Amino acid sequence: MNDRITQLQKIVKESNSICINSEFLDYEGIVSYYPEELIITVKAGLIIKDMRKELNKNNQDLMFFVDDENISIGAAYANGGQDLSDSVLGVQIIDGNGNLLNFGGQVIKNVAGYDVSRLLVGSKGKLALITEISFKVLPNFYVEKLVKPLKQKASSKAHKVIEQKLKQVFDPKGIFK
Amino acid sequence: MSIIKDLLKEIVPKDIVIFGQENTRVFECDGLSAYKKKPLVVVLPENIEQIKQVLKICNLHNIPVITRGAGTGLSGGATPIEQSLVLGLSKFNKIKSVDVENRLAVVEPGVRNIVISETVKKYGLYYAPDPSSQIACTIGGNVAENSGGIHCLKYGLTIHNVEAIKIITIEGEEITFSRQDYGIGLLALLHGSEGLLGIIIEITVKLKPISQSSKLIMAGFNSVRDCANSVANIIKKGIIPAGLEMMDKFAIEAAENFAKVGYPLEANALLLCELDGDEQSVENEFKKTIEILSIASSIKVADEEKQISKLWKGRKSAFPAVGQISPDYYCMDGTIPRRYLADMLEQISKLSKKYNLAVANVFHAGDGNLHPLILYDANIAGELEKTEKFGMDILKLSVKFGGSITGEHGVGIEKLNAMCYQFTDKELDIFHKIKKVFDPKSLLNPGKAVPELHRCAELGAMHVNKGKLPHPEIERF
Repeated sequence: MNDRITQLQKIVKESNSICINSEFLDYEGIVSYYPEELIITVKAGLIIKDMRKELNKNNQDLMFFVDDENISIGAAYANGGQDLSDSVLGVQIIDGNGNLLNFGGQVIKNVAGYDVSRLLVGSKGKLALITEISFKVLPNFYVEKLVKPLKQKASSKAHKVIEQKLKQVFDPKGIFK
Repeated sequence: MSIIKDLLKEIVPKDIVIFGQENTRVFECDGLSAYKKKPLVVVLPENIEQIKQVLKICNLHNIPVITRGAGTGLSGGATPIEQSLVLGLSKFNKIKSVDVENRLAVVEPGVRNIVISETVKKYGLYYAPDPSSQIACTIGGNVAENSGGIHCLKYGLTIHNVEAIKIITIEGEEITFSRQDYGIGLLALLHGSEGLLGIIIEITVKLKPISQSSKLIMAGFNSVRDCANSVANIIKKGIIPAGLEMMDKFAIEAAENFAKVGYPLEANALLLCELDGDEQSVENEFKKTIEILSIASSIKVADEEKQISKLWKGRKSAFPAVGQISPDYYCMDGTIPRRYLADMLEQISKLSKKYNLAVANVFHAGDGNLHPLILYDANIAGELEKTEKFGMDILKLSVKFGGSITGEHGVGIEKLNAMCYQFTDKELDIFHKIKKVFDPKSLLNPGKAVPELHRCAELGAMHVNKGKLPHPEIERF
């Protein structure tokens, strides 16, 4: 087992309150990248610029519009966005109980279980600590025309109620602030 | 039964409430016909108010609700359970509006997949996801299963082609989820939720412009491994074909026998590769692809719509084709990383010998989604059980290779045991809790999609460590 992951699990288990911030950025780097599979798995602290550099070496790129290349991929995932969500294939997370969980995977098609890896896109670090993310990537040629996504609509009351209940599923003690 | 009395009292016209041994028989299974169960009652509502009335009555009597589209699902998602009500949405079959400028269509859940494309063809548009059952399957079911199809390598799954959906919760509340929503991915959560979270009553689908130009290359191979490697080589070259499908010898013979479209019967493997886009890019990709496919034993190119759909027809009718040569077949749906395609095929072939059951292989090779069809005869005692064991071995292998037990058919009742291999207890527990958020009394399609934890314990299933083969660099098998 990865030492840093064990350490992060311990931190989550022992805290009453965690704000996911730059302190976690040291969990970074590429876990696996198979250009012929069009799939990359990265640790959440990886800076987007460095991720794209690696992809560009193989004439590939991310499938979503990137506003600021200097933030981590985990931060972009937490901020959300539909285009980013479209390219997510899997996540590894530490939930509010300190459990290490995997959802989705490293394959393009996967309908086993609810789509938690896309559910947590836009969760702002309030549901779980995201440790690793797998993305589908594409050859440069196919991602040339990316545009900034439309501004999102405010949540309705019904959405907020569901979100609140889902927070309790992932973080029953309410430690992620 | 008091629920039937209540339904008849509240719902007009009465003939949309169906009950009795004979009348409910057509609803006793979906496309997974090995499992059958008659529901207590079936209701085929004609409007939203009726759906709400039905849900209210079910809530009152604690009767489980099984939502059903066209019943073409292959995993038993629409199979009734004991004392359940089947809510058939086949009468919700209207395309409510088409917004040509923004390339959107608002449709009811019972609209058949192909009808959307047929309706918007006059605007030069189509709806991209095309499951093989597209002439029959409904868009509501597509969302519930997050269906794919032969063109999802380039154009995405259902989830990538839906702008918004409206659901009714078990409590009767209407909620809309859209791609523009702020916050977590609730729209994504509803996709592939197999009728466990809400009743989908309206879908806004995204439409795509019909490609200017397309070409379909059909390549026959002497060696299965060469065919599998060509798939990887095409993608490595930076080409994303609109469709990239592979069939083995048995599947080629069955499909040709059924559809008579001119597949090369002497080949051991067949690759169908469709390129589309503007003329220039198709031409570029075509040149590169033909070069990669120079190791093929035969090549045929089709570039007009009629020829192309004819060649696809063989592939799309592969399941019924196999159904014609075997009393029964069992279709698997595992996905694996593409690099293991050839290894997986060899393993399946070994298992086929071990179990003494023939297998026809059809693959969405481009996205690593395999559909081995195991041929069996349900009338021979013990053969279904043997087939299921064989199937489970294939699914376990899929997980071992770092893939998934289901790429597009869903878990339903069929793959409950297999779920125990892909997920840990703690992950399954999260799924159960998510369901509770939407359906606290567990009335919507209960017992499907996610196994109870005790089921996994009784099975003695050890969750397989996904993709973590020791020394993955070593070639195997």
